[in-house]
Amino acid sequence: MSLFHSAVAGALALTSAAADKQTVAPPPPPYAGVYQPQGVDEIGMWREDDESERKLAASALVIRDEKLNAYVRNVLCETVGADRCRSVRIYIMREPTINASMSPNGTLRIFSGFLLRLRNEAELGAILGHEFGHYEKRHTLNRFKAARSGTDLLAWTALLASMAPSYDARRSYNDLELSVYGSLYRFSRDNEREADFLGISYLNRSLLRPQAAASVFQGLMGEFEASARAKGLKKPNFSKIAFAASHPPDAERAAYLTLLAAPAGASRDNGADRYRGALAPWLPAFLSDQIKLNDFGASEYIINSLAASGWTPTLWMARGDLYRLRGNPRDLVNAAEFYEAAVQLDPTLADAYRGLGLSLIKTGRPSDGQAALRKYLELKPDAADRAFIQMMLPVQGVGQ
Amino acid sequence: MRKSSLFALGLIPALLLAVTADAHKLRTSGVSVAVADSGVRVTPTRDWNRLDVKPGKKAETWTLDGTQLNDVTFYGGIEPGNPLVKERSKKREPLPKFTAATLVVEVPELLESTYRAYKGLAAFTVESTAPAKFLGQDGVRFTYFFTDDDQLTRKGEARAAIIKGSLYMVTFDAPRLHYFDHSIADFRALADSAKLN
Repeated sequence: MSLFHSAVAGALALTSAAADKQTVAPPPPPYAGVYQPQGVDEIGMWREDDESERKLAASALVIRDEKLNAYVRNVLCETVGADRCRSVRIYIMREPTINASMSPNGTLRIFSGFLLRLRNEAELGAILGHEFGHYEKRHTLNRFKAARSGTDLLAWTALLASMAPSYDARRSYNDLELSVYGSLYRFSRDNEREADFLGISYLNRSLLRPQAAASVFQGLMGEFEASARAKGLKKPNFSKIAFAASHPPDAERAAYLTLLAAPAGASRDNGADRYRGALAPWLPAFLSDQIKLNDFGASEYIINSLAASGWTPTLWMARGDLYRLRGNPRDLVNAAEFYEAAVQLDPTLADAYRGLGLSLIKTGRPSDGQAALRKYLELKPDAADRAFIQMMLPVQGVGQ
Repeated sequence: MRKSSLFALGLIPALLLAVTADAHKLRTSGVSVAVADSGVRVTPTRDWNRLDVKPGKKAETWTLDGTQLNDVTFYGGIEPGNPLVKERSKKREPLPKFTAATLVVEVPELLESTYRAYKGLAAFTVESTAPAKFLGQDGVRFTYFFTDDDQLTRKGEARAAIIKGSLYMVTFDAPRLHYFDHSIADFRALADSAKLN
Protein backbone atom coordinates (compact mmCIF):
# COMPACT_ATOMS: atom_id res chain seq x y z
CA MET A 1 0.00 0.00 0.00
CA SER A 2 2.65 2.39 1.03
CA LEU A 3 4.63 1.28 -2.00
CA PHE A 4 1.63 2.07 -4.19
CA HIS A 5 1.26 5.42 -2.55
CA SER A 6 4.81 6.37 -3.14
CA ALA A 7 4.56 5.14 -6.72
CA VAL A 8 1.50 7.33 -7.28
CA ALA A 9 3.25 10.21 -5.61
CA GLY A 10 6.29 9.60 -7.80
CA ALA A 11 4.17 9.49 -10.94
CA LEU A 12 2.40 12.68 -9.90
CA ALA A 13 5.71 14.36 -9.25
CA LEU A 14 6.90 13.24 -12.67
CA THR A 15 3.82 14.53 -14.51
CA SER A 16 3.92 17.83 -12.69
CA ALA A 17 7.59 18.14 -13.48
CA ALA A 18 6.76 17.40 -17.11
CA ALA A 19 3.99 20.01 -17.02
CA ASP A 20 6.40 22.52 -15.53
CA LYS A 21 8.89 21.78 -18.23
CA GLN A 22 6.25 22.30 -20.89
CA THR A 23 5.40 25.74 -19.61
CA VAL A 24 8.96 26.93 -20.00
CA ALA A 25 9.12 28.81 -23.31
CA PRO A 26 10.79 26.79 -26.09
CA PRO A 27 13.66 28.35 -28.02
CA PRO A 28 12.54 30.87 -30.66
CA PRO A 29 12.04 29.64 -34.24
CA PRO A 30 14.94 30.17 -36.67
CA TYR A 31 14.98 33.76 -37.91
CA ALA A 32 13.30 34.10 -41.30
CA GLY A 33 15.63 36.90 -42.42
CA VAL A 34 14.87 40.21 -44.10
CA TYR A 35 11.17 40.61 -44.81
CA GLN A 36 9.54 42.75 -47.47
CA PRO A 37 5.91 43.87 -47.29
CA GLN A 38 3.41 41.97 -49.40
CA GLY A 39 0.01 43.00 -50.71
CA VAL A 40 -1.62 46.40 -50.93
CA ASP A 41 -2.39 46.79 -47.25
CA GLU A 42 1.04 45.92 -46.01
CA ILE A 43 2.91 47.92 -48.65
CA GLY A 44 0.80 50.97 -47.83
CA MET A 45 1.35 50.51 -44.14
CA TRP A 46 5.10 50.28 -44.55
CA ARG A 47 5.13 53.41 -46.67
CA GLU A 48 3.37 55.35 -43.91
CA ASP A 49 5.67 53.81 -41.40
CA ASP A 50 8.76 54.89 -43.37
CA GLU A 51 7.39 58.43 -43.52
CA SER A 52 6.77 58.43 -39.80
CA GLU A 53 10.31 57.18 -39.18
CA ARG A 54 11.72 59.98 -41.32
CA LYS A 55 9.93 62.51 -39.12
CA LEU A 56 11.04 60.70 -36.01
CA ALA A 57 14.69 60.71 -37.07
CA ALA A 58 14.58 64.50 -37.34
CA SER A 59 12.77 64.99 -34.03
CA ALA A 60 14.29 67.17 -31.35
CA LEU A 61 13.06 64.66 -28.77
CA VAL A 62 15.36 61.84 -29.87
CA ILE A 63 18.33 61.32 -27.55
CA ARG A 64 21.38 61.09 -29.76
CA ASP A 65 23.94 60.17 -27.11
CA GLU A 66 26.09 57.63 -28.92
CA LYS A 67 27.07 55.67 -25.82
CA LEU A 68 23.54 55.26 -24.52
CA ASN A 69 22.27 54.25 -27.95
CA ALA A 70 25.08 51.74 -28.38
CA TYR A 71 24.32 50.28 -24.97
CA VAL A 72 20.59 49.82 -25.63
CA ARG A 73 21.33 48.30 -29.03
CA ASN A 74 23.81 45.96 -27.45
CA VAL A 75 21.24 44.76 -24.92
CA LEU A 76 18.75 44.16 -27.75
CA CYS A 77 21.36 42.17 -29.67
CA GLU A 78 22.27 40.18 -26.56
CA THR A 79 18.59 39.36 -26.09
CA VAL A 80 17.32 38.54 -29.56
CA GLY A 81 20.60 37.54 -31.19
CA ALA A 82 22.82 39.30 -33.70
CA ASP A 83 20.91 38.20 -36.82
CA ARG A 84 17.53 39.50 -35.64
CA CYS A 85 19.01 42.64 -34.14
CA ARG A 86 20.29 43.89 -37.48
CA SER A 87 16.79 44.63 -38.75
CA VAL A 88 16.08 47.21 -36.01
CA ARG A 89 16.63 50.98 -35.65
CA ILE A 90 16.37 52.14 -32.05
CA TYR A 91 15.15 55.63 -31.13
CA ILE A 92 15.40 56.66 -27.49
CA MET A 93 12.86 59.42 -26.94
CA ARG A 94 13.07 62.07 -24.22
CA GLU A 95 9.54 61.46 -22.94
CA PRO A 96 8.88 61.10 -19.23
CA THR A 97 6.16 58.45 -19.68
CA ILE A 98 6.29 54.66 -19.77
CA ASN A 99 6.22 53.40 -23.31
CA ALA A 100 8.03 51.32 -25.85
CA SER A 101 6.81 50.27 -29.26
CA MET A 102 8.02 48.64 -32.40
CA SER A 103 6.47 49.31 -35.78
CA PRO A 104 6.37 46.96 -38.79
CA ASN A 105 9.35 48.43 -40.66
CA GLY A 106 11.67 47.83 -37.72
CA THR A 107 11.50 51.17 -35.87
CA LEU A 108 11.85 50.64 -32.15
CA ARG A 109 10.91 53.54 -29.90
CA ILE A 110 11.67 53.49 -26.21
CA PHE A 111 10.84 56.41 -23.91
CA SER A 112 13.31 57.76 -21.36
CA GLY A 113 10.57 57.37 -18.72
CA PHE A 114 10.77 53.63 -19.24
CA LEU A 115 14.57 53.56 -18.98
CA LEU A 116 14.31 55.42 -15.67
CA ARG A 117 12.02 52.74 -14.23
CA LEU A 118 13.98 49.66 -15.24
CA ARG A 119 16.44 48.37 -12.69
CA ASN A 120 18.75 46.13 -14.67
CA GLU A 121 19.86 44.92 -18.06
CA ALA A 122 17.66 41.83 -17.93
CA GLU A 123 14.55 43.99 -17.47
CA LEU A 124 15.56 46.13 -20.44
CA GLY A 125 16.15 42.94 -22.44
CA ALA A 126 12.69 41.71 -21.45
CA ILE A 127 11.00 44.90 -22.74
CA LEU A 128 13.02 45.03 -25.95
CA GLY A 129 12.46 41.31 -26.52
CA HIS A 130 8.72 41.71 -26.00
CA GLU A 131 8.51 44.51 -28.54
CA PHE A 132 10.64 42.54 -30.95
CA GLY A 133 8.20 39.63 -30.52
CA HIS A 134 5.36 41.82 -31.84
CA TYR A 135 7.54 42.76 -34.77
CA GLU A 136 8.64 39.23 -35.60
CA LYS A 137 5.05 37.96 -35.45
CA ARG A 138 3.88 40.98 -37.53
CA HIS A 139 1.04 41.71 -35.18
CA THR A 140 0.53 45.22 -36.55
CA LEU A 141 -0.66 43.85 -39.88
CA ASN A 142 -3.41 41.91 -38.13
CA ARG A 143 -4.63 45.12 -36.59
CA PHE A 144 -4.32 47.16 -39.74
CA LYS A 145 -7.90 46.89 -40.98
CA ALA A 146 -9.27 48.30 -37.75
CA ALA A 147 -6.54 50.91 -37.69
CA ARG A 148 -7.17 52.06 -41.22
CA SER A 149 -10.63 53.32 -40.37
CA GLY A 150 -8.92 55.00 -37.40
CA THR A 151 -6.47 56.90 -39.61
CA ASP A 152 -9.29 58.11 -41.88
CA LEU A 153 -10.82 59.54 -38.76
CA LEU A 154 -7.51 61.18 -37.95
CA ALA A 155 -7.24 62.82 -41.37
CA TRP A 156 -10.67 64.40 -41.03
CA THR A 157 -10.03 65.57 -37.52
CA ALA A 158 -6.71 67.12 -38.50
CA LEU A 159 -8.51 69.14 -41.14
CA LEU A 160 -11.16 70.34 -38.72
CA ALA A 161 -8.67 71.06 -35.97
CA SER A 162 -6.52 73.17 -38.26
CA MET A 163 -9.57 75.29 -39.02
CA ALA A 164 -10.26 75.97 -35.34
CA PRO A 165 -7.81 78.58 -34.12
CA SER A 166 -7.91 77.61 -30.47
CA TYR A 167 -5.40 75.90 -28.29
CA ASP A 168 -7.93 73.46 -26.85
CA ALA A 169 -9.00 72.16 -30.23
CA ARG A 170 -5.40 71.54 -31.17
CA ARG A 171 -4.76 69.80 -27.91
CA SER A 172 -7.75 67.54 -28.44
CA TYR A 173 -6.37 66.72 -31.85
CA ASN A 174 -2.99 65.85 -30.36
CA ASP A 175 -4.72 63.59 -27.84
CA LEU A 176 -6.64 61.98 -30.63
CA GLU A 177 -3.52 61.50 -32.68
CA LEU A 178 -1.95 59.71 -29.74
CA SER A 179 -4.98 57.55 -29.15
CA VAL A 180 -5.41 56.57 -32.79
CA TYR A 181 -1.74 55.78 -33.15
CA GLY A 182 -2.06 54.07 -29.79
CA SER A 183 -4.72 51.77 -31.20
CA LEU A 184 -2.48 51.09 -34.18
CA TYR A 185 0.05 49.65 -31.81
CA ARG A 186 -2.43 48.37 -29.30
CA PHE A 187 -2.56 44.65 -29.65
CA SER A 188 -5.07 42.09 -28.53
CA ARG A 189 -4.37 40.13 -25.39
CA ASP A 190 -3.56 37.04 -27.44
CA ASN A 191 -0.99 39.04 -29.37
CA GLU A 192 0.47 40.26 -26.10
CA ARG A 193 0.73 36.73 -24.77
CA GLU A 194 2.41 35.64 -27.97
CA ALA A 195 4.91 38.50 -27.74
CA ASP A 196 5.55 37.71 -24.08
CA PHE A 197 6.13 34.10 -25.01
CA LEU A 198 8.59 34.97 -27.73
CA GLY A 199 10.25 37.61 -25.58
CA ILE A 200 10.96 35.04 -22.89
CA SER A 201 12.19 32.56 -25.51
CA TYR A 202 14.87 35.05 -26.51
CA LEU A 203 15.78 35.70 -22.88
CA ASN A 204 15.95 31.99 -22.04
CA ARG A 205 18.49 31.57 -24.81
CA SER A 206 20.47 34.70 -23.88
CA LEU A 207 22.95 35.27 -21.07
CA LEU A 208 20.45 37.42 -19.18
CA ARG A 209 18.12 36.39 -16.38
CA PRO A 210 14.68 35.58 -17.90
CA GLN A 211 12.89 36.05 -14.55
CA ALA A 212 13.34 39.81 -14.99
CA ALA A 213 10.29 39.99 -17.28
CA ALA A 214 7.95 39.37 -14.35
CA SER A 215 9.72 41.88 -12.11
CA VAL A 216 9.19 44.72 -14.63
CA PHE A 217 5.43 44.39 -14.28
CA GLN A 218 5.53 43.99 -10.54
CA GLY A 219 7.52 47.23 -10.38
CA LEU A 220 5.08 49.12 -12.60
CA MET A 221 2.05 47.94 -10.65
CA GLY A 222 3.66 49.07 -7.42
CA GLU A 223 4.29 52.50 -8.89
CA PHE A 224 0.74 52.99 -10.21
CA GLU A 225 -0.65 52.03 -6.84
CA ALA A 226 1.71 54.41 -5.03
CA SER A 227 0.71 57.22 -7.41
CA ALA A 228 -3.00 56.60 -6.83
CA ARG A 229 -2.51 56.44 -3.05
CA ALA A 230 -0.71 59.79 -2.98
CA LYS A 231 -3.54 61.38 -4.99
CA GLY A 232 -6.17 59.89 -2.68
CA LEU A 233 -7.71 57.76 -5.44
CA LYS A 234 -9.34 54.43 -4.69
CA LYS A 235 -7.63 52.53 -7.43
CA PRO A 236 -5.00 53.25 -10.03
CA ASN A 237 -6.05 54.14 -13.56
CA PHE A 238 -4.07 51.59 -15.52
CA SER A 239 -5.75 52.49 -18.80
CA LYS A 240 -4.05 55.94 -18.75
CA ILE A 241 -0.76 54.29 -19.49
CA ALA A 242 -0.65 53.19 -23.10
CA PHE A 243 1.72 50.37 -22.40
CA ALA A 244 -0.41 48.86 -19.65
CA ALA A 245 -3.84 49.53 -21.16
CA SER A 246 -4.27 46.54 -23.45
CA HIS A 247 -1.94 44.13 -21.78
CA PRO A 248 -3.14 41.06 -19.91
CA PRO A 249 -4.05 41.70 -16.26
CA ASP A 250 -0.76 42.17 -14.56
CA ALA A 251 -1.05 39.66 -11.74
CA GLU A 252 -1.82 36.98 -14.31
CA ARG A 253 0.95 38.24 -16.48
CA ALA A 254 3.57 38.25 -13.75
CA ALA A 255 2.53 34.67 -12.93
CA TYR A 256 2.86 33.22 -16.40
CA LEU A 257 6.01 35.19 -17.15
CA THR A 258 7.54 33.50 -14.12
CA LEU A 259 6.48 30.08 -15.42
CA LEU A 260 7.82 30.71 -18.92
CA ALA A 261 11.26 31.65 -17.64
CA ALA A 262 13.80 28.82 -17.67
CA PRO A 263 14.45 27.94 -13.99
CA ALA A 264 18.15 27.46 -14.71
CA GLY A 265 18.29 31.11 -15.78
CA ALA A 266 17.52 32.34 -12.26
CA SER A 267 21.19 32.10 -11.31
CA ARG A 268 22.31 34.19 -14.28
CA ASP A 269 23.57 37.74 -14.01
CA ASN A 270 20.91 40.43 -14.35
CA GLY A 271 23.43 43.10 -15.32
CA ALA A 272 22.24 45.62 -12.71
CA ASP A 273 25.68 47.21 -12.38
CA ARG A 274 26.17 47.57 -16.12
CA TYR A 275 22.69 49.07 -16.46
CA ARG A 276 23.27 51.59 -13.69
CA GLY A 277 26.64 52.51 -15.19
CA ALA A 278 25.20 53.07 -18.68
CA LEU A 279 22.34 55.18 -17.38
CA ALA A 280 24.35 57.16 -14.82
CA PRO A 281 25.10 60.18 -17.05
CA TRP A 282 21.37 60.56 -17.83
CA LEU A 283 19.91 59.65 -14.46
CA PRO A 284 19.83 63.20 -13.01
CA ALA A 285 18.04 64.50 -16.13
CA PHE A 286 15.54 61.63 -16.28
CA LEU A 287 14.81 61.95 -12.56
CA SER A 288 14.28 65.68 -12.89
CA ASP A 289 11.89 65.08 -15.85
CA GLN A 290 9.90 62.71 -13.66
CA ILE A 291 9.84 64.91 -10.55
CA LYS A 292 8.60 67.95 -12.44
CA LEU A 293 5.58 66.01 -13.70
CA ASN A 294 4.08 66.69 -10.28
CA ASP A 295 3.16 63.06 -9.57
CA PHE A 296 4.43 62.80 -6.02
CA GLY A 297 3.49 59.17 -5.31
CA ALA A 298 5.03 57.78 -8.48
CA SER A 299 8.23 59.84 -8.16
CA GLU A 300 8.73 58.82 -4.55
CA TYR A 301 8.20 55.17 -5.50
CA ILE A 302 10.74 55.37 -8.34
CA ILE A 303 13.37 57.08 -6.18
CA ASN A 304 12.91 54.53 -3.41
CA SER A 305 13.10 51.57 -5.74
CA LEU A 306 16.26 52.96 -7.35
CA ALA A 307 17.66 53.44 -3.86
CA ALA A 308 17.07 49.76 -3.01
CA SER A 309 20.65 49.15 -4.14
CA GLY A 310 21.99 52.04 -2.09
CA TRP A 311 21.34 55.80 -1.78
CA THR A 312 23.50 57.90 -4.07
CA PRO A 313 23.94 61.70 -3.99
CA THR A 314 21.83 61.93 -7.17
CA LEU A 315 18.95 60.08 -5.51
CA TRP A 316 19.11 62.15 -2.32
CA MET A 317 19.08 65.33 -4.37
CA ALA A 318 16.15 64.13 -6.48
CA ARG A 319 14.23 63.38 -3.31
CA GLY A 320 15.07 66.82 -1.95
CA ASP A 321 13.77 68.43 -5.18
CA LEU A 322 10.61 66.34 -5.00
CA TYR A 323 9.80 67.50 -1.48
CA ARG A 324 10.88 71.12 -2.01
CA LEU A 325 8.69 71.44 -5.11
CA ARG A 326 5.64 70.16 -3.25
CA GLY A 327 6.50 72.82 -0.72
CA ASN A 328 4.43 72.09 2.40
CA PRO A 329 6.28 73.32 5.52
CA ARG A 330 6.92 69.71 6.61
CA ASP A 331 8.20 68.91 3.10
CA LEU A 332 10.74 71.71 3.29
CA VAL A 333 12.21 70.36 6.53
CA ASN A 334 12.51 66.92 4.92
CA ALA A 335 13.93 68.41 1.74
CA ALA A 336 16.71 70.16 3.68
CA GLU A 337 17.55 66.85 5.35
CA PHE A 338 17.74 65.02 1.99
CA TYR A 339 19.93 67.72 0.43
CA GLU A 340 22.24 67.52 3.42
CA ALA A 341 22.53 63.76 2.91
CA ALA A 342 23.38 64.42 -0.74
CA VAL A 343 26.16 66.93 -0.05
CA GLN A 344 27.60 64.75 2.68
CA LEU A 345 28.10 61.98 0.10
CA ASP A 346 29.24 64.36 -2.63
CA PRO A 347 30.43 67.78 -1.40
CA THR A 348 30.76 69.01 -5.02
CA LEU A 349 27.08 68.63 -5.94
CA ALA A 350 26.30 72.29 -6.65
CA ASP A 351 22.56 71.98 -7.29
CA ALA A 352 22.06 70.20 -3.98
CA TYR A 353 23.54 73.25 -2.21
CA ARG A 354 21.07 75.44 -4.08
CA GLY A 355 18.12 73.30 -2.96
CA LEU A 356 19.49 73.14 0.56
CA GLY A 357 19.95 76.91 0.72
CA LEU A 358 16.43 77.68 -0.54
CA SER A 359 14.85 75.10 1.78
CA LEU A 360 16.72 76.44 4.81
CA ILE A 361 15.77 80.05 4.02
CA LYS A 362 12.14 79.01 3.80
CA THR A 363 12.19 77.12 7.09
CA GLY A 364 13.50 80.07 9.04
CA ARG A 365 17.26 79.40 8.94
CA PRO A 366 18.41 82.22 6.64
CA SER A 367 22.08 82.38 7.66
CA ASP A 368 22.60 78.62 7.16
CA GLY A 369 20.70 78.94 3.91
CA GLN A 370 22.87 81.77 2.67
CA ALA A 371 26.01 79.80 3.51
CA ALA A 372 24.70 76.94 1.34
CA LEU A 373 23.85 79.33 -1.51
CA ARG A 374 27.34 80.84 -1.29
CA LYS A 375 28.76 77.33 -1.64
CA TYR A 376 26.46 76.78 -4.65
CA LEU A 377 27.84 79.83 -6.45
CA GLU A 378 31.38 78.87 -5.52
CA LEU A 379 30.91 75.42 -7.07
CA LYS A 380 28.95 76.63 -10.10
CA PRO A 381 30.20 80.11 -10.98
CA ASP A 382 28.35 80.10 -14.32
CA ALA A 383 24.96 79.15 -12.82
CA ALA A 384 21.98 80.34 -14.86
CA ASP A 385 20.48 82.11 -11.84
CA ARG A 386 23.76 83.49 -10.47
CA ALA A 387 22.70 87.12 -10.56
CA PHE A 388 19.54 86.38 -8.67
CA ILE A 389 21.08 84.17 -6.02
CA GLN A 390 23.80 86.76 -5.46
CA MET A 391 21.12 89.35 -4.82
CA MET A 392 19.62 87.09 -2.15
CA LEU A 393 22.88 86.75 -0.26
CA PRO A 394 23.39 89.95 1.68
CA VAL A 395 19.71 90.26 2.50
CA GLN A 396 18.33 88.52 5.56
CA GLY A 397 15.15 86.53 5.03
CA VAL A 398 13.15 86.16 1.87
CA GLY A 399 14.96 87.24 -1.27
CA GLN A 400 12.72 89.89 -2.70
CA MET B 1 -8.04 58.28 -24.06
CA ARG B 2 -10.96 56.90 -26.07
CA LYS B 3 -13.40 59.03 -24.15
CA SER B 4 -11.36 62.16 -24.83
CA SER B 5 -11.19 61.38 -28.54
CA LEU B 6 -14.97 60.99 -28.73
CA PHE B 7 -15.25 64.21 -26.84
CA ALA B 8 -12.86 65.88 -29.26
CA LEU B 9 -14.92 64.76 -32.25
CA GLY B 10 -17.98 66.40 -30.85
CA LEU B 11 -16.03 69.36 -29.61
CA ILE B 12 -14.32 70.44 -32.80
CA PRO B 13 -17.38 71.34 -34.91
CA ALA B 14 -18.84 72.97 -31.80
CA LEU B 15 -15.69 75.04 -31.36
CA LEU B 16 -15.72 76.06 -34.99
CA LEU B 17 -19.20 77.44 -34.51
CA ALA B 18 -18.27 79.07 -31.22
CA VAL B 19 -15.24 80.70 -32.78
CA THR B 20 -17.18 82.34 -35.56
CA ALA B 21 -19.99 83.40 -33.26
CA ASP B 22 -17.91 84.84 -30.43
CA ALA B 23 -14.83 86.47 -31.84
CA HIS B 24 -11.70 87.42 -29.98
CA LYS B 25 -11.11 91.04 -29.07
CA LEU B 26 -8.74 93.50 -30.66
CA ARG B 27 -6.42 95.37 -28.30
CA THR B 28 -5.61 98.62 -30.04
CA SER B 29 -2.25 100.35 -29.91
CA GLY B 30 -2.04 103.13 -27.32
CA VAL B 31 -5.23 102.23 -25.46
CA SER B 32 -4.69 101.21 -21.83
CA VAL B 33 -6.56 98.05 -20.87
CA ALA B 34 -6.95 95.76 -17.82
CA VAL B 35 -5.68 92.18 -18.19
CA ALA B 36 -6.43 88.85 -16.53
CA ASP B 37 -9.27 90.24 -14.39
CA SER B 38 -6.70 91.82 -12.11
CA GLY B 39 -5.42 95.24 -11.19
CA VAL B 40 -2.80 95.00 -13.94
CA ARG B 41 -3.16 97.41 -16.87
CA VAL B 42 -1.08 97.44 -20.02
CA THR B 43 -0.79 99.90 -22.88
CA PRO B 44 0.16 98.03 -26.06
CA THR B 45 2.46 99.76 -28.55
CA ARG B 46 0.88 97.88 -31.42
CA ASP B 47 -2.37 96.04 -32.06
CA TRP B 48 -2.76 92.62 -30.42
CA ASN B 49 -5.51 90.01 -30.33
CA ARG B 50 -6.90 88.98 -26.98
CA LEU B 51 -8.20 85.40 -27.06
CA ASP B 52 -11.50 84.52 -25.46
CA VAL B 53 -10.26 81.11 -24.36
CA LYS B 54 -8.61 81.67 -21.00
CA PRO B 55 -6.03 79.16 -19.77
CA GLY B 56 -6.96 79.81 -16.15
CA LYS B 57 -9.17 81.85 -13.88
CA LYS B 58 -6.56 84.56 -13.47
CA ALA B 59 -4.82 84.22 -16.80
CA GLU B 60 -5.33 85.73 -20.22
CA THR B 61 -3.73 85.07 -23.58
CA TRP B 62 -2.78 87.54 -26.29
CA THR B 63 -1.34 86.76 -29.70
CA LEU B 64 -0.35 88.32 -33.01
CA ASP B 65 -0.53 85.39 -35.44
CA GLY B 66 -2.05 82.62 -33.30
CA THR B 67 -0.78 81.04 -30.12
CA GLN B 68 1.36 78.50 -31.95
CA LEU B 69 3.45 81.34 -33.37
CA ASN B 70 3.39 83.89 -30.57
CA ASP B 71 1.68 83.53 -27.24
CA VAL B 72 1.68 86.17 -24.52
CA THR B 73 0.03 85.00 -21.31
CA PHE B 74 -0.65 87.27 -18.35
CA TYR B 75 -1.05 85.76 -14.90
CA GLY B 76 -2.71 88.36 -12.71
CA GLY B 77 -2.40 87.78 -8.99
CA ILE B 78 -2.27 84.02 -8.49
CA GLU B 79 -2.98 83.46 -4.79
CA PRO B 80 -1.14 80.89 -2.63
CA GLY B 81 -2.54 77.37 -3.01
CA ASN B 82 -3.55 77.84 -6.65
CA PRO B 83 -2.05 76.47 -9.87
CA LEU B 84 -1.09 78.83 -12.70
CA VAL B 85 -3.65 77.47 -15.15
CA LYS B 86 -6.86 75.50 -14.79
CA GLU B 87 -6.28 71.87 -13.92
CA ARG B 88 -7.80 69.30 -16.27
CA SER B 89 -8.54 67.11 -13.29
CA LYS B 90 -7.87 68.30 -9.75
CA LYS B 91 -7.63 64.78 -8.52
CA ARG B 92 -6.00 62.78 -11.29
CA GLU B 93 -3.75 65.35 -12.92
CA PRO B 94 -2.95 67.93 -10.26
CA LEU B 95 -0.70 70.82 -11.28
CA PRO B 96 1.99 72.32 -9.06
CA LYS B 97 0.73 75.12 -6.85
CA PHE B 98 2.07 78.56 -6.08
CA THR B 99 2.49 78.55 -2.29
CA ALA B 100 3.13 81.14 0.38
CA ALA B 101 6.65 79.69 0.68
CA THR B 102 7.49 80.01 -3.04
CA LEU B 103 10.43 82.38 -3.54
CA VAL B 104 10.72 84.62 -6.60
CA VAL B 105 13.80 82.66 -7.66
CA GLU B 106 11.66 79.50 -7.72
CA VAL B 107 9.05 80.95 -10.08
CA PRO B 108 10.93 79.65 -13.18
CA GLU B 109 10.78 76.15 -11.65
CA LEU B 110 7.04 76.61 -11.05
CA LEU B 111 6.44 77.57 -14.67
CA GLU B 112 8.66 74.72 -15.87
CA SER B 113 6.87 72.19 -13.74
CA THR B 114 3.46 73.50 -14.85
CA TYR B 115 4.39 73.23 -18.54
CA ARG B 116 5.85 69.76 -18.06
CA ALA B 117 2.89 68.42 -16.12
CA TYR B 118 0.26 70.09 -18.32
CA LYS B 119 1.79 69.19 -21.66
CA GLY B 120 3.66 66.03 -20.64
CA LEU B 121 7.00 67.49 -21.78
CA ALA B 122 10.45 66.26 -21.01
CA ALA B 123 12.47 68.77 -22.98
CA PHE B 124 12.30 72.02 -21.01
CA THR B 125 15.32 74.07 -19.99
CA VAL B 126 15.49 77.30 -18.03
CA GLU B 127 18.24 79.22 -19.75
CA SER B 128 18.78 82.24 -17.52
CA THR B 129 17.32 83.82 -14.42
CA ALA B 130 18.13 87.38 -13.40
CA PRO B 131 16.69 90.01 -11.08
CA ALA B 132 14.53 92.57 -12.86
CA LYS B 133 11.76 95.04 -12.13
CA PHE B 134 8.22 94.01 -12.97
CA LEU B 135 5.16 96.16 -12.22
CA GLY B 136 7.53 98.55 -10.50
CA GLN B 137 8.63 95.91 -7.98
CA ASP B 138 11.70 93.72 -7.57
CA GLY B 139 11.07 90.59 -9.54
CA VAL B 140 12.65 88.09 -11.87
CA ARG B 141 13.21 87.91 -15.59
CA PHE B 142 13.95 84.49 -17.06
CA THR B 143 14.31 82.78 -20.40
CA TYR B 144 13.66 79.16 -21.31
CA PHE B 145 13.10 76.82 -24.23
CA PHE B 146 11.09 73.65 -24.67
CA THR B 147 10.01 71.20 -27.35
CA ASP B 148 6.27 70.84 -27.59
CA ASP B 149 4.38 67.77 -28.78
CA ASP B 150 4.24 69.27 -32.29
CA GLN B 151 8.04 68.71 -32.30
CA LEU B 152 8.71 72.43 -32.59
CA THR B 153 11.24 73.99 -30.23
CA ARG B 154 9.89 77.16 -28.68
CA LYS B 155 11.74 79.86 -26.84
CA GLY B 156 10.23 81.80 -23.99
CA GLU B 157 10.85 84.90 -21.93
CA ALA B 158 8.99 85.85 -18.78
CA ARG B 159 8.87 88.40 -16.02
CA ALA B 160 7.39 87.81 -12.63
CA ALA B 161 7.05 89.40 -9.21
CA ILE B 162 5.41 88.39 -5.96
CA ILE B 163 3.40 91.34 -4.70
CA LYS B 164 1.48 91.20 -1.41
CA GLY B 165 1.72 87.42 -1.45
CA SER B 166 0.29 86.97 -4.97
CA LEU B 167 2.15 86.01 -8.11
CA TYR B 168 2.09 88.33 -11.13
CA MET B 169 3.73 87.11 -14.31
CA VAL B 170 3.77 87.61 -18.04
CA THR B 171 5.23 85.04 -20.45
CA PHE B 172 6.03 85.05 -24.14
CA ASP B 173 6.41 81.77 -26.06
CA ALA B 174 7.24 81.55 -29.75
CA PRO B 175 9.04 79.13 -32.09
CA ARG B 176 12.78 79.54 -31.72
CA LEU B 177 13.11 79.76 -35.48
CA HIS B 178 12.23 83.27 -36.69
CA TYR B 179 9.10 83.99 -34.64
CA PHE B 180 10.71 84.57 -31.25
CA ASP B 181 13.18 87.14 -32.52
CA HIS B 182 10.55 88.68 -34.76
CA SER B 183 8.18 89.64 -31.95
CA ILE B 184 10.31 89.78 -28.81
CA ALA B 185 10.59 93.58 -28.98
CA ASP B 186 6.79 93.92 -29.11
CA PHE B 187 6.51 91.67 -26.08
CA ARG B 188 9.11 93.60 -24.11
CA ALA B 189 7.36 96.87 -24.86
CA LEU B 190 4.10 95.33 -23.69
CA ALA B 191 5.65 93.95 -20.49
CA ASP B 192 7.34 97.30 -19.78
CA SER B 193 4.00 99.06 -20.04
CA ALA B 194 2.39 96.86 -17.36
CA LYS B 195 1.30 98.68 -14.21
CA LEU B 196 -0.44 97.50 -11.08
CA ASN B 197 -3.21 99.73 -9.73
